[in-house]
Amino acid sequence: MMVKRIALILALPVVGFLVAVLFMGLSRKITARIQRRYGPPLYQPIIDVVKLLTQKENISHGVLFDFGILLGLAGALVTIAFIPAGGIHPLSTSGDFLVVLYLMLLSPLGLALAAGASENPNASIGVSRKLTLALGYEVPFLLAALAVMTRFGTTSLVEIVSAQQSSMLGWGAAALPLSALATFLVLPAMLGIRPFDFATAPQEIASGPLVELGGKYLAFAAIQGALHTYIVLSLFVDLFLGGGANILTFLAKVLAVFFVGTCINAVLPRVSVAQALRYLWKWPTLLALAGLAIAAVMRG
Amino acid sequence: MDRADIPKALKSPANWGQKYSLWAVYFCTGCGVIEIPPVITSRWDAERFGVLPMATPRQANLFLVTGYVSVKTLGAIIRTYDQMPDPKYVVGFGSCPVNGGMYWDSYNTIKHLDKYIPVDGWIAGCMPRPEAIFVAVVHLWQMIDKGIATGYKRYKEDYEYYERNQREVLPHLAKFESAEPTAARDI
Amino acid sequence: MAMETLFAVILPAAFGGALLVYLAGKVSGALRNLLAVLFAAAPVVLVALLHGQDVRLGYYALPFLQAELALRVDALAWFFAITVSAIDLLAVVFSLRYMQGKRGLDFYYSCMLLVNAGMLGIVFSADLISLFVCWEIMSWATYLLISYKGGKAVAAGLKYMIMSTAGSCAMLLAVASLYATCGTFDIAALGQQLSGMSPGYRLFILLMFVLAFGIKNAIVPVHVWLPDAHSEAVSPFSAVLSGVLVRMGVYGLLLVLFVMMRWASVLRLSISWPVDFHYILAWVGAITIVVPTCIALLQDDAKRLLAWHGIGQGGYMVLGIAFGTSMGIAGGVFHTLNHATYIALLFMVVGAVEYRTGGVRNLNELGGLAKRMPVSFVGGLIGISGLIGLPLTNGFVSKWLIYKTLIGEGHPFLAFAALIGTWLTILSVFKLLHNIFLGQVPQKYAGVREVPLSMQLPVAVLSLTILALGVFPGLALRPIAAVQSSLGVPAIKTTLFGVPRELGELNTINILAGVALSLAAVYGLFALGKRARRADQFDSYGAGSYVPTDRYQYSAKFYQRAYEFIGPYVRDRADDFYAWFVGKAEGLFEEVRKIYTGNVNTYAAYIVIFLTLLILLKMGGQL
Repeated sequence: MMVKRIALILALPVVGFLVAVLFMGLSRKITARIQRRYGPPLYQPIIDVVKLLTQKENISHGVLFDFGILLGLAGALVTIAFIPAGGIHPLSTSGDFLVVLYLMLLSPLGLALAAGASENPNASIGVSRKLTLALGYEVPFLLAALAVMTRFGTTSLVEIVSAQQSSMLGWGAAALPLSALATFLVLPAMLGIRPFDFATAPQEIASGPLVELGGKYLAFAAIQGALHTYIVLSLFVDLFLGGGANILTFLAKVLAVFFVGTCINAVLPRVSVAQALRYLWKWPTLLALAGLAIAAVMRG
Repeated sequence: MDRADIPKALKSPANWGQKYSLWAVYFCTGCGVIEIPPVITSRWDAERFGVLPMATPRQANLFLVTGYVSVKTLGAIIRTYDQMPDPKYVVGFGSCPVNGGMYWDSYNTIKHLDKYIPVDGWIAGCMPRPEAIFVAVVHLWQMIDKGIATGYKRYKEDYEYYERNQREVLPHLAKFESAEPTAARDI
Repeated sequence: MAMETLFAVILPAAFGGALLVYLAGKVSGALRNLLAVLFAAAPVVLVALLHGQDVRLGYYALPFLQAELALRVDALAWFFAITVSAIDLLAVVFSLRYMQGKRGLDFYYSCMLLVNAGMLGIVFSADLISLFVCWEIMSWATYLLISYKGGKAVAAGLKYMIMSTAGSCAMLLAVASLYATCGTFDIAALGQQLSGMSPGYRLFILLMFVLAFGIKNAIVPVHVWLPDAHSEAVSPFSAVLSGVLVRMGVYGLLLVLFVMMRWASVLRLSISWPVDFHYILAWVGAITIVVPTCIALLQDDAKRLLAWHGIGQGGYMVLGIAFGTSMGIAGGVFHTLNHATYIALLFMVVGAVEYRTGGVRNLNELGGLAKRMPVSFVGGLIGISGLIGLPLTNGFVSKWLIYKTLIGEGHPFLAFAALIGTWLTILSVFKLLHNIFLGQVPQKYAGVREVPLSMQLPVAVLSLTILALGVFPGLALRPIAAVQSSLGVPAIKTTLFGVPRELGELNTINILAGVALSLAAVYGLFALGKRARRADQFDSYGAGSYVPTDRYQYSAKFYQRAYEFIGPYVRDRADDFYAWFVGKAEGLFEEVRKIYTGNVNTYAAYIVIFLTLLILLKMGGQL
């Protein structure tokens, strides 16, 4: 029993990692095809990570730099272990949705520390942009998440998922259409893809927080980015798309949302920080507010 | 290409990674860089070879020195090359790095790039077409396989030679001053 | 019997210590420092020994009012007393080196101990007269300490004093009114008698006390004294001020709401349907979270930023307590303890930086000190983690309790205010940490060293407390459950690592295990790669150029776009209002002053007119 539980706890980050690597390759291939070219093979991210990890020279700016990168990846892994994936939720009694929301802070904090230790203003600008964007999308996202928690009367992700299992009409998106739409509108901001990828813009701020990362550090940061994508998508699926009765339906839904996100990323340009804030605090916030008001009224 | 040749990849994963994931630092050194945007965009698609442009030298392992190298730019090239982590490959792009090219008698350009930083390969032309760049990439893969793309090792072993040449052209380069930090000055 | 003796010794020792330290300072500085630490440590030890006791001690019988002045220790008093004395001890230890070489040190140390004694007196009072007297002692000692530095600090102290006195007058009014109606000052006895009073009278008493304690706790809109006071006071005292002194307001709220008023009747108290008093207070708490934290985001002075956060976090406490559920009150009280630890820690870290850089607090001038002051940096990092509420810190557990109860009871907008407060906190404290410790270090400060051991020690102790209470929240939640029982509120059920399954899902040891295992696994993979070579700050990417000295740090206007959006809407309008009000009042007083013309003829005319009016009135009465 205990062994099974530990195996499940370890399995979740592994599943997340494999899915993340697949998504990295899939994203580049789909983007390439949309741009009417061939693009790299699906396993290209594996080649990239192998190259970065086997690099003969790594450059570090000190203990804090190392620790930040380690914390970035470790935070993502531990967050995945707390998010239900289909029927797998071994740690659900140790942490509910609020715990997951706060565990999601560990990984960006690690990267921000590493970026600060890089002693480079480009990195600091990147972190400031990332945090500003986070403030932007957290307003509608928290309103939508609170609507979900109010509507289903619980803060436990497992209970939220199981409340949506009855049929497609029981999905969060059907019960709370305005909140689901608001979250979908801010999903690119949460994922850090175009049109909101200005935090790591290569052209403007020389990759932002990644400016001094090379070799194994860059490999860890790339894996962390992919894991973060998986975390956000799995939260979206758990909250609004019914979660998944088993791991395969769950991953299929995650893949579907990911596909839509990649298409948006391939087609749209990058907006500036002011434009992003103006967008995020206007329609998605209003929709989410309306959704929360309706949920509160229905509850009370 | 033998990218999917798994036994070969397992025999030397470092080589496999270095070959099929050449990330070029996007430093536009001279007019030759006008040929790079077509290479990395949809028509000639360098990404299918694994070649991506990267913003900073920390993230890159390929340095395409495109076009002529003026003395001032040479300082930036040396600095960028120093900041790249090993293993790193330099490809001289165009005829200017080879022997001065169109600017063979200019007072302000250097005529032989490999006196200042080690160069692994050259692409002749003014400018070379994108197909020539892909031939060079494949050639670089073969050199990595054979283990003869060792510019970065030469740089470490013969550093006195390179440093002497660098000092001759750029005596006031900041790395030759004392270890004390200085204000930014003309390199 | 032994317990009563122990208890009887605490306050005399505390007050006597303040006097002794002042006198010892005339003899020698080292003796004074030693005595200061001893008399700050003594209450900690004595209070710790009184854990779990329930003792009442009458110490004086007022002959003319038939009142017995008494002290008592129960779970509530013990909880606040241990917090107060511990933070004060750490601040005194921090001051040993920080204040070295400044003038007026006898005065400083004796005032620090006096403040400590006053706060202990407040929490130990069993009757309202003792409470009021100790409240005033504490407030006046605070004023003296705030204006200790002179200059701008005197104006800040004056602002504090005016507002605090206004609160004290409200409290005195309430105390007098209670004596007039109920005939007693004893808090427990008042609790029984007040339940029989009319709701209107109870509301009046409640409002007066909430005004007094709210001014001290700095809830919006009476928070305006706090930013100036905290930033102008010396750093060790700012730690005490922000950590425990303003939380005397929270203690007072707990006392009034639950001991004097009874929890059930407070929940039913309403001004008019459907607005309950406690619900309004919860909304005041929610606004106090959001607006001051937005203003903190805009600050460039490190201590002012922390001061605004102090106001904001007070909102969490008021929100939790006013919400009235068992989990909410537990969360609010726990947040009081947690906030004391991390805000004291952060003020000490900023004080350490000030100490080494010669008083620099401007966030736009510092940078990159993490490598030179590693202990202070780690302390700062843990402090901001607690302030944000990262998992594995104590701030997370108390905030989790508050969120869970707000969402569970169906008040999502209050929960949203609390949650967005956390995100605003994340932005502003990251700016604090980054602008002081990360990035490039200016040449001016390249030679700073770490602070001496006596200043590192409080930082280390507080950091360990934050982490320990984050992983073992049961250690603090069990005394808090006892506090709730003593208040007559349903006590929260807890386990050592969180809450039991029926209340919610929180198990901190599993979170710790997860984080530790992930870090170990990632480090294993990391160690397989080639060992990295070190690059210093001049070997950083500069687009082919070499790094320019002192011009390669991004710190000013750190969140420029966010400022452009938020800035115009969040000004401290309360401060503007008070400034306007003061201006108008001064104008009025100026006009009234003109009665005194200084001219004897006018005065003679006044007398004549007054006598005439008197005569007319007398005659008119007889007609």
